[in-house]
Amino acid sequence: MMHTPVILLKEGTDTSQGIPQLISNINACQVISEAVRTTLGPRGMDKLMVDSRGKATISNDGATILKLLDVVHPAAKTLVDIARSQDAEVGDGTTSVTLLAAEFLKQLKSYVEDGLHPQTIIRAFRTATNLAVSKTKEIAVSVKKDDKQEQRKLLEKCAATALNSKLIAGQKDFFAKMVVDAVMSLDELLPLKMIGIKKVQGGALEDSQLISGVAFKKTFSYAGFEMQPKRYENLKIALLNVELELKAEKDNAEVRVKSVEDYQAIVDAEWNILYDKLEKIYQSGAKVVLSKLPIGDVATQYFADRDLFCAGRVQEEDLKRTMMACGGSIQTSVGAMTEDTLGQCELFEEVQIGGERYNLFKGCPKAKTCTIILRGGAEQFTEETERSLHDAIMIVRRAIKNDSIVAGGGAIEMELSKYLRDYSRTIPGKQQLLIGAYAKALEIIPRQLCDNAGFDATNILNKLRAKHAQGGTWYGVDINNEDITDNFVACVWEPSIVRINALTAASEAACLILSVDETIKNPRGSVDGPPGGGRGRGRAHAH
Amino acid sequence: MALHVPKAPGFAQMLKDGAKHYSGLEEAIFRNIRACKELSQTTRTAYGPNGMNKMVINHLEKLFVTNDAATILRQLEVQHPAAKMIVMASHMQEQEVGDGTNFVLVFAGALLELAEDLLRMGLSVSEVIDGYEKACKKALEILPDCVCSSAKNLHDVTEATSLIRTAVMSKQYGNEDFLANLIAQACVSIFTESGSFNVDNVRVCKILGSGVTASTVLHGMVFKKEAEGDITSVKDAKIVIFSCPFDCMVTETKGTVLINNAKELMDFSKGEEDLMEAQVKAIKEAGANLVVTGGKVADVALHFANKYKLMVVSAHFNLCKCNLFQTAPTPEEMGHCDDVYLTELGDTQVVVFKHEKEDGAISTVVIRGSTDNLMDDIERAVDDGVNTFKVLVKDKRLVPGGGATEIELAEQITSYGASRDGLEQYGIKKFAEAFEALPRSLAENSGVNGKELISKLYSAHHEGNKNMGYDIEAEGPALKDMLESGIVEPYLVKYWGIKLATNAAVTVLRVDQIIMAKAAGGPKAPQQRGHWDKDSWNEEPDHFDTHH
Repeated sequence: MMHTPVILLKEGTDTSQGIPQLISNINACQVISEAVRTTLGPRGMDKLMVDSRGKATISNDGATILKLLDVVHPAAKTLVDIARSQDAEVGDGTTSVTLLAAEFLKQLKSYVEDGLHPQTIIRAFRTATNLAVSKTKEIAVSVKKDDKQEQRKLLEKCAATALNSKLIAGQKDFFAKMVVDAVMSLDELLPLKMIGIKKVQGGALEDSQLISGVAFKKTFSYAGFEMQPKRYENLKIALLNVELELKAEKDNAEVRVKSVEDYQAIVDAEWNILYDKLEKIYQSGAKVVLSKLPIGDVATQYFADRDLFCAGRVQEEDLKRTMMACGGSIQTSVGAMTEDTLGQCELFEEVQIGGERYNLFKGCPKAKTCTIILRGGAEQFTEETERSLHDAIMIVRRAIKNDSIVAGGGAIEMELSKYLRDYSRTIPGKQQLLIGAYAKALEIIPRQLCDNAGFDATNILNKLRAKHAQGGTWYGVDINNEDITDNFVACVWEPSIVRINALTAASEAACLILSVDETIKNPRGSVDGPPGGGRGRGRAHAH
Repeated sequence: MALHVPKAPGFAQMLKDGAKHYSGLEEAIFRNIRACKELSQTTRTAYGPNGMNKMVINHLEKLFVTNDAATILRQLEVQHPAAKMIVMASHMQEQEVGDGTNFVLVFAGALLELAEDLLRMGLSVSEVIDGYEKACKKALEILPDCVCSSAKNLHDVTEATSLIRTAVMSKQYGNEDFLANLIAQACVSIFTESGSFNVDNVRVCKILGSGVTASTVLHGMVFKKEAEGDITSVKDAKIVIFSCPFDCMVTETKGTVLINNAKELMDFSKGEEDLMEAQVKAIKEAGANLVVTGGKVADVALHFANKYKLMVVSAHFNLCKCNLFQTAPTPEEMGHCDDVYLTELGDTQVVVFKHEKEDGAISTVVIRGSTDNLMDDIERAVDDGVNTFKVLVKDKRLVPGGGATEIELAEQITSYGASRDGLEQYGIKKFAEAFEALPRSLAENSGVNGKELISKLYSAHHEGNKNMGYDIEAEGPALKDMLESGIVEPYLVKYWGIKLATNAAVTVLRVDQIIMAKAAGGPKAPQQRGHWDKDSWNEEPDHFDTHH
């Protein structure tokens, strides 16, 4: 009698289950958080990563690091996902969210090992998160929107706090102001893509500038370009999506001629079509012609002769931003060039920034857009600066949309931790332990801040706990003096939505990982053999 | 010359080399049962609110984190022929009622497991089958008596919420009240007075970021798209929908424009532009102010759309209560929407088509969540909830959940079995016993002793408390009145579940021989390329290798 084992699934399918599996998932998440934990806070260190193509990236943005790590472990991927989600929702706090999720899991590991049912844990965590979120909302300080100056101050503080932990912390005041200016110039929808960030190598960070208008790099130009004037005042701008070059009118058109004269006439006609277009543009009164499509040498010289400036192959987003700033509309045909289709601005000039030439449009009447020109040394450095500014911009946008703030530097976490710990003592049963664990896990943020700064974390945390117990709601880590301080007074502010989102996302991720007790991994779909071929045994596939 | 190897006498002699042949109780039936048991063991831990999730990575390396049995099975690629029968039964259940797939698996697994005992005892297969079928018939007869209440008014959101809640609870325990309310709102808003309900009209849009509790529902559509033109919001929109690209017409037949002289060349491009302008103008003059197109939007067309203040949205699908056409529309053919606008959720730009009045034919549940996997799982919970609603539209009867119905059936069938005098009595009794598997799984998944619970349940039901079920929130094996705590399931889910599970189990039992041909060897069938690679599909027709 044969006793072959029953094989249910496809060959090569890998299954693992039970509590060891859960523990191994938790461990994997721990490893991931190790990778980013040292980047937290003002004293956090940066990471240098080299990807498969040899491109080096320096960053301390959690989301960027995790993205580049290319995690394949299914459970650990969840952490990458929440970092992404935090990035998408609020733009900053990606390291905190990863750390929190990993710390939640770490605190729970012993309970899982002791055989507590994961669903009980999940229920406790959901309760704790809801409590923490409502508490955050309750203690958050909202700033009146009516007072413009007050709001501006708030925004600058928030931006400064976000920038504090970045590479450019030294210039945080400079950049905080720039970022707030940039965001304030947008319309009420605050579309992110209306802030252009251009990087020019060379120069110092302080040479970076904000242009309330549009700036873009000189485009590829043809002969005749240098003859064109490079500066106009009070000018009109034509925005085109037209190719100004000799070209076929339609791809599948065919010309059949019978005589030499006809041939000449066709050639003339082609030129005439082009000249006709150019003439119309000239007649419209525009001084600067921008086109998404190439502007050929004939056109370039034609414009040069008539005291016009032109730039072809302008990036679409730049063209759109020019439109938003200067008014007018992008024309796909030159047939209907009327006054209202042209944009306007006070000053156009081409300037030299570092090694690049830039076209600047300033004094735009509608100015719902702006451009930040970043200067700096190495390429990696400017790239990281751009990421940092992106975070700061996102924070400012969030702060405008939700005007309530909390104090950073671990203050809010300590307060929530205290609140939950107190709460947990009032309830009986297993929930008490679990909510206590949640409260303990929240302390990871100030602890890590201290660790990264080289402080004695235990000492500082003890001080903080004592202070919070006495009602010092906003006391957090004082990075500069190795002590604790009222971070609300010290102006370390963050939009409350950042923290709320971090808490929700971290606990959702922790619950998701806890709720898994089995992993089944199918082999990669290399063999697409017919299904139902048998029991997976003895299949004589010649590979 | 190879040495002649004498073949074993018997059946194998007649088959080709490499073919396999199993027959008899030991080789065929027990093996099949074991395979099915193994399968149901996998999904059993996912049953009920406290069920655990499974992480399934399919052959495309996509990760699923779910406790939805249908999804797990779909990704598992079960290969065993007998186990497949059960999988099929659960698929049927999904198509029929959309929920209760795990019920089918667990129940069928339990039936087969118990059948093994009977067979080992010496009962013949046909007697077992006879018993199961009789018991199944009886169970379905008894089931209407278990009905504890019925839905009164499905147009009432509060009532619908309480009905959907149980289905959602088993998928997203902890978020059930919130999600059930969302789903109920979505379902009720598209549930017409005439009583027709289409599952496809509840759409789901997943947007990364924030938390589950930030999910919302709205009447109308949400597209993860940006508006193409300059206009980003339209109030009181008149919508025209094109299934074709918003572009100038291109003939299907390959044609060439013949130009004979210079004048024709000069007029050519102007003519094309004028034509486009005329078309866009015609759309505008017909009263439309929003164009939805199924394809690309040409630059020229967009230019004129901006000129005539038309909002343009490019979507690949749409269901917004209007016709598809290619020329300028008449007013009757236009759709209407109260408010269309572009907005930002997380960092995703979305176009929202919103109906103020509650008469939209479509409603969308916007799911927010911190990870893709989580959102996928919530989407499945929403699907289940919507399906539950659909089932309730068909049949308003409800039975108590939490194992109450199962125990009631088990008790009645046991007494029915005792009244039979043939050998099928054993089968009937085991059928009743199989029902115990469900409350037991519920209990064991929550870390409670199953046997203790079942004895408690039996005693409660014996005293006539039909609606007593397992209280999932209590610490130990406690009981609660399911009707009072609002844990009710649609009658049809149970009805089909029992029917399909029994059918599957009986079919598996009926098999007494397995013959497998040797899997065809030879070179591997060429990979089916060319679905997207247009260049090569002409030369290389797809090869379909039939291996058998």
